Amino acid sequence: MMTATTEGPDLQALTHRLSECPADFLAEPMIGSRGVVDVAAVVSDLVRALGGTLLTAAELARFRGTSDLMARRLQITLIASWLLYDPWFRDQQRFAAQAMSLLSETFGEVAALVEPDAFVTDPDRREEFVRLCLRALGLRPAGESEAQAADRLNTLSSVERTRVVQETRAAQERVRQVREAMRKKAAEEAAAAYGRE
Amino acid sequence: MSDDRALTDDERFPLIDAAGRGWLDELRQHPSAPRYNMTCGDRLTSAGHERVRAYERAIFANDPSWSALEMPSWVTAFTARCLRDVPFYRRRGSTAGSFAELPPISRADLQREPWSFVPDSQPLDDMINYWTSGASGHSMDVLSHPDVASMRLPILRKALARHGLTLDGGARRTAIVFVCSQSTTFTYASLSSYLGGAAHVKVNLNPAEWRDAGDRVRFLDALDPEILTGDPMSFADLAALPVAIRPKAMISTAVLLLPATRERLEQRFGCPVIDLYSTCETGPIAVASPRGFEAFLPDVYLEILRPDGTVASLGERGEITFTGGRNPFLPLLRYRTGDWAALAFDGAAPVLVDFEGRRPVVLEATDGRLLNNIDVTIAFRPFALVQFTVHQNADGSLLVRTLPHPVAGMDAVLRGLFGADQKIVFEPLPDHGAKRVPYSSDRSAAKV
Repeated sequence: MMTATTEGPDLQALTHRLSECPADFLAEPMIGSRGVVDVAAVVSDLVRALGGTLLTAAELARFRGTSDLMARRLQITLIASWLLYDPWFRDQQRFAAQAMSLLSETFGEVAALVEPDAFVTDPDRREEFVRLCLRALGLRPAGESEAQAADRLNTLSSVERTRVVQETRAAQERVRQVREAMRKKAAEEAAAAYGRE
Repeated sequence: MSDDRALTDDERFPLIDAAGRGWLDELRQHPSAPRYNMTCGDRLTSAGHERVRAYERAIFANDPSWSALEMPSWVTAFTARCLRDVPFYRRRGSTAGSFAELPPISRADLQREPWSFVPDSQPLDDMINYWTSGASGHSMDVLSHPDVASMRLPILRKALARHGLTLDGGARRTAIVFVCSQSTTFTYASLSSYLGGAAHVKVNLNPAEWRDAGDRVRFLDALDPEILTGDPMSFADLAALPVAIRPKAMISTAVLLLPATRERLEQRFGCPVIDLYSTCETGPIAVASPRGFEAFLPDVYLEILRPDGTVASLGERGEITFTGGRNPFLPLLRYRTGDWAALAFDGAAPVLVDFEGRRPVVLEATDGRLLNNIDVTIAFRPFALVQFTVHQNADGSLLVRTLPHPVAGMDAVLRGLFGADQKIVFEPLPDHGAKRVPYSSDRSAAKV
């Protein structure tokens, strides 16, 4: 589905920024006694840098995880935080609220499908990640139309691709079931026909 | 259920009662009964019975509601459901902006991947698999549902009602005898729960299928069926037997029924002969009337398409294209039937005029004039032909095979059409029973 966006920063500049993500932002998030990076603190700094206010305790709690899947989501949150520290976003001083919902709500599905490192090391995943973040902020890459941006994100989307693969698998399974039923029913007597066709 | 286990009578007839069981035994063990070579039943459940009743109410309450300018209202929702729920249409049609832009489908599509026409939401438990040879000789699986077989009964009732007739059925009566006359075919005694447990018996008049050739007459007279179903050849063979049955009507399908043949049968049996246009893939489509084949079922939508897939003009002949979803295992969206006609809307219901099964064949007169095969069919109307084929050889000569043979006066009629010098060989039509494409040609002009 296409959502209305405004023209944002240059795509290449942001993918380049991702490729240079510092080791601190790739380190293991703190979960209980494990990990080294306090993601809640990083997000809190980012939100203020984008023009927002201090986070509440409840908001901070969203970035203190308890499970492995949460750890992956928090790793992605860290990478996104690095991306949104880009001067283009900070200069605008108007993305704090959208950034907060992006960081706390958007990465659940993708965390289950993609290794977080891939958003830094793999060119397609870098582009997917930048586009995903821009869309969450109501933006599209500079020089692109709404349709181009939506189409390109759809093409790259790991979630979309997984959905297509799963649908194809389901379709193949259905064909197998129907053909199996046909084979069985061909050997079975049909219902009496009341006339010739 | 294992693959090869025969069904029990309780599975064949889910609604059978003790009286039905007794009647079935009598039909099977009748001293004059044929050597049945198959057992089968209606497989109609109580839920199915209700669905068929609802279908009967719907088709009696509604006539076709479309015109040259307007599709029936159900087509839009049906199309949307097909594009969403049926793998074949989802794959091919999802980009079409309107119904007329949907690519038509053909028998080859059904033949190649019948499974792709089964909606995702359709449970597979009640699937039945009919195998059909078809007019073109290419076999295919046609997937269906027991309800669809029994829905034929309300359809027959609606066709009969046009003549003021009813199909009543009832315990220990015979509602339908399905008459065949061919070298071999499945034969059985069955009951119709929908018709109150009345018998439905399929017989083959070929004497080899009976213990005694005289049993054919004894058995049919004993059954005294309400109606007969069959085709012109089997009815002609039946007419030649000294049977005393007086059915309410005879329902002819599958093969072109010429008017003179119909009149002869009507005189012999003292009842109307109703010509029903039906195909295995679609089920009944239209019923013959003085105007042509009339659309009479509200769940059928017909278009006439040109070979390039565009919609023909009003009155222009083209391929009859069917849309309908009576069979839940085979919803058909713009199915090209392979039969040709034009549509007319000059009366109460849409009607197929200049109907001719299969694609037209162009024949050539001795002076080079091109003749459509329908010209020959029209010229044959006065003759009581049960079946015929006309083939034009590469040298222009005609091979005309007829049943019966010979037919007085046919030579003069053909010379009137093709020219006085036309070379014609007349032969008897051998081995009748199979469907036939009546016209063929080796001449290069033999294309549309």
